[in-house]
Amino acid sequence: MPMRFDGFESLLSFQARSLPHAPALVYERGEEQQVCTYGELFLLIQQRAKALRAAGCHSLGVLCDGSFSCIIEIFAAVLGGKRVSLFNENTPDELLFGQVASAQVDCLWGDGELCEVLSPYIVKEAPGGAGQILFFTSGTTSVSKAVVLTDKSLMASAYNGSALLPLTQADRLLCLLPLDHVFGFVCGLLWGLSCGAAVALGRGPRHYGDDCGFFKPTALSAVPLLLGFLLQHRAINPELQLVLVGAGGCPPAILQGAKAMGLRVHFGYGLTETSSGVALSLGEDPYAMTVCPEDTLSIAPDGEVLIYAPTCLMQGYWQHPEDTAAAVKNGVLYTGDVGRLDEQGRLILTGRKKEMLVLPDGTKLFLPEYEGAIREALGREGCIVEGKTGPILLLEGVAQDTAPLWEKLLPLIRQRPRSQQIVKIDFYGGPLPRTASGKIMRWAIQRKGEQP
Amino acid sequence: MTTRQDILDKTREIIIESLPELEGQSFDESTVINTDTGIDSMGFTLIICRLEAAFNVRIPNRQWQKLSTLGDVVDAIEKRLPKQ
Repeated sequence: MPMRFDGFESLLSFQARSLPHAPALVYERGEEQQVCTYGELFLLIQQRAKALRAAGCHSLGVLCDGSFSCIIEIFAAVLGGKRVSLFNENTPDELLFGQVASAQVDCLWGDGELCEVLSPYIVKEAPGGAGQILFFTSGTTSVSKAVVLTDKSLMASAYNGSALLPLTQADRLLCLLPLDHVFGFVCGLLWGLSCGAAVALGRGPRHYGDDCGFFKPTALSAVPLLLGFLLQHRAINPELQLVLVGAGGCPPAILQGAKAMGLRVHFGYGLTETSSGVALSLGEDPYAMTVCPEDTLSIAPDGEVLIYAPTCLMQGYWQHPEDTAAAVKNGVLYTGDVGRLDEQGRLILTGRKKEMLVLPDGTKLFLPEYEGAIREALGREGCIVEGKTGPILLLEGVAQDTAPLWEKLLPLIRQRPRSQQIVKIDFYGGPLPRTASGKIMRWAIQRKGEQP
Repeated sequence: MTTRQDILDKTREIIIESLPELEGQSFDESTVINTDTGIDSMGFTLIICRLEAAFNVRIPNRQWQKLSTLGDVVDAIEKRLPKQ
């Protein structure tokens, strides 16, 4: 049975006592693998936590680069009683500036040059919040908001995953996903540590194609796009047995490719708001997901998936109490996803209620504001963004030369993360279907697109 | 001396290696990478890494988001080539 930990300190101290000489983190230094044992890891984190306690700051922003030092810093800051905000160092400038400003951090850890650029957005004295960890998500608007989680909720989520899908001490989990994404943090890192497995730290995007060969993992967490890439480029090592796919729907072709290589593939469903996964596929049907032990799922009359997850639920959206109240009612999270429960109580997702695209890299794109900016740039009203493999712009009317449209669009999409950049312009062939009030009927267009 | 055309030719070659189905398609500096080539963000990462190796340059990860057209990629490489 997996252990249940009530925070980072209990995880690290228990594993340091139980498995002092077992490898905890494996990473590259000087083109060679370095191993940090559970005993050494806890010691290093305690030392850094002591230094951070002595430092004056209350709220640390971490520009995540996935490195060994980055992980030490995150754990140490939590043990040192700081509120921690996780940022992706590759976020486009304007977005990152806004995130750092809204998180109210009074010190930053990360690339020195970037910290310098971000220094105007640091506050002199930030509100604290021991144990709070902020993850940014698009949530219900395109203005990214921080979800307030805790080390306790994250460990509860790791327990949930481990209970359904345990790793052993002989396993090596490869962490390729960004740590500022809750799926990467929980399923790429905490899942392995809570099971006493070794976690290998990927060397960044330049090594996506050869990290499996270098670290020889037995388990991997991946978003669909990454798994597809690894399969396409035959970058899977023979020792790899288990792949946990999350943060977005996985096309059947990728699943078939993975199975053909003898991999055991499981899908996970969860949200940042629930500290990652609440359901996992365990059986032959990868799209029927068993609900995690500490969570309860139900389906609203309109099909919306409702989650009661008292141990994993967010504290709220950082300084957005109205949004929190709209998303969580009586302790139940309204997910915006649509699904059903089968006769065995397993969750089967069928779509989304909110006007949002979940992109193949696991990020979300809130459509109304994006479409509003596109309409303004193009000077035309009839358009929507859709697409499962990447954002496609669908325009009202018959096909025409798209070159002038691209010219107007490029300045806008260049400001967006690559995964959100429009990949194609299509034409509907006539007027887009609208409601009596003139609103475009997105669901009708999607349904038409899904018909064979 | 490496010219812009050399960089563009190498970029085209690497794209075709990565996506052989694009063989025969014409690329120029105005080609929008995501759109005209159908390369997704993972494929883009692979291509940039191969280009970095081919020209012995390193384009900071933070710059990758800003590379929309092949012209942008050529600019980023050209700017970082050792002075000749």
